[in-house]
Amino acid sequence: MTYVSVSLPQLLLSLGLMAMAIAISAQNRLGLERDLAIGTVRAAVQLFAVGLLLTLVFQNEHPASVFGVIAVMVVVGGWTAARRIAHGPGTAVLFRYATLAVLVAGLVVLTPVFAFVIRPPRWYEARLLIPISGMILSNAMNGVALVFERVFASINEDAAGVEQLLSLGATPKQAVQRHVRAAMNAALRPTINGLLTVGLVALPGMMTGQIVSGTAPDQAVRYQLVIMYQLVAVAAVAGALAARFARALSFTEQDQLRTFPDPRVR
Amino acid sequence: MPAQLEARRLRKTYGGRVLLDGVDLRLAGKTVTTLSGPSGSGKTTLLRILGLLSEPDEGQVLLDGDDLKTVTPHAARRRIALVAQGPVMFPGTVLDNVRTGPRLAGEDLPEPTARELVVRVGLPSELLTQDARSLSGGEKLRVAVARALALNPEAWLLDEPTAALDAERADLIVRLLRELAAEGAAILVVTHDARALQQLEGPHFQLTSGQLVEGRPDRSGGGG
Repeated sequence: MTYVSVSLPQLLLSLGLMAMAIAISAQNRLGLERDLAIGTVRAAVQLFAVGLLLTLVFQNEHPASVFGVIAVMVVVGGWTAARRIAHGPGTAVLFRYATLAVLVAGLVVLTPVFAFVIRPPRWYEARLLIPISGMILSNAMNGVALVFERVFASINEDAAGVEQLLSLGATPKQAVQRHVRAAMNAALRPTINGLLTVGLVALPGMMTGQIVSGTAPDQAVRYQLVIMYQLVAVAAVAGALAARFARALSFTEQDQLRTFPDPRVR
Repeated sequence: MPAQLEARRLRKTYGGRVLLDGVDLRLAGKTVTTLSGPSGSGKTTLLRILGLLSEPDEGQVLLDGDDLKTVTPHAARRRIALVAQGPVMFPGTVLDNVRTGPRLAGEDLPEPTARELVVRVGLPSELLTQDARSLSGGEKLRVAVARALALNPEAWLLDEPTAALDAERADLIVRLLRELAAEGAAILVVTHDARALQQLEGPHFQLTSGQLVEGRPDRSGGGG
């Protein structure tokens, strides 16, 4: 099998697809033309930049550069998960906890896989470590964001019920158990749904990519399965850590409920 | 031994307003103390601080002489019942609700005991199997009292417990509070109900401008 490459003029042709979307927006007065135009350019700039960075890292493959890229993913993931959490203690506080949750979950899930399942020829093999870490860390980020969003919002909404439980002698853990469970459930749900419908509705991106670039489907399937299992595990670990942090942040030293006003309302 | 719940030099500001300005209050066992004051004067804040749900800026809360900051919060709260105005019902039946306190401590409240508690607050025992969230405001309040009774607390803090009740039910709650006091409990009732105030003949305080003033309100005043 030969690899089918895309030349720059061919890539420019694909801009016609964006023109199509912009035209539909204009015709239906959706007001999305500006966002679509910005998105078109931004996606290209971001992806070319990443492509350039990856080329550099691949050419000078070194543990420092590979793990430097992964560290950036962890920090950006933590930052993204900590943003726009209504009724939370604020991005500055949440950032530390979100980053820690993404980091720990990523380590717990990625280390054994690279040690025993997908064994890279060199332990810092960029073409394996970087894309796989990226997929796993972004799922950890989503798990953390979902748990933070849900836990803080539902505790805020049910503050009277939580305090009623406290006043009947509940520990903080008991008082918010219902909210924490619901949040962790919500955090795992999308990944579990992905697990249940994979291959039926859409072929997953990584498998598609491997097949397009010439990998035999049976190998692509094995890789994809490992990734899917990792995605579930990382969402579970990251969600559990985020829930623990959110719970700790919701109570004072005297086990009193702290409520946080929505910063968008103030 | 009768219980004693005590607040010393409580100070609390909220949004730049001084709600409690060095409040001293001693709730003796075997006594029902009543409290009134204009709305927004900090009565609920005082109850929340005494019930350990809110932290004062300064001052301390003592139960039987122990500073409650030195006691595990959830263990201390079991000893102090806080019945809020418009209490929250947990999902499930009345029985589930009444069993909540013991369950949180890993204990099982036998159904006959729960039934007794429900009857004691003046509810028909058939209510045990009903969805607690479907009850009326007055019924919810009485379930909240039964739910607190299950923990056999030493001190009681109640916020307008008769407000949602008709005269007959209100009398029953007043009678229950007097019984609990007779058994040794220290009780504080925030109320503006003239009838209840008349029936509860313990000490009465007014909270105004962050200060507690002892004495019964005038016939003309006291509302809010």
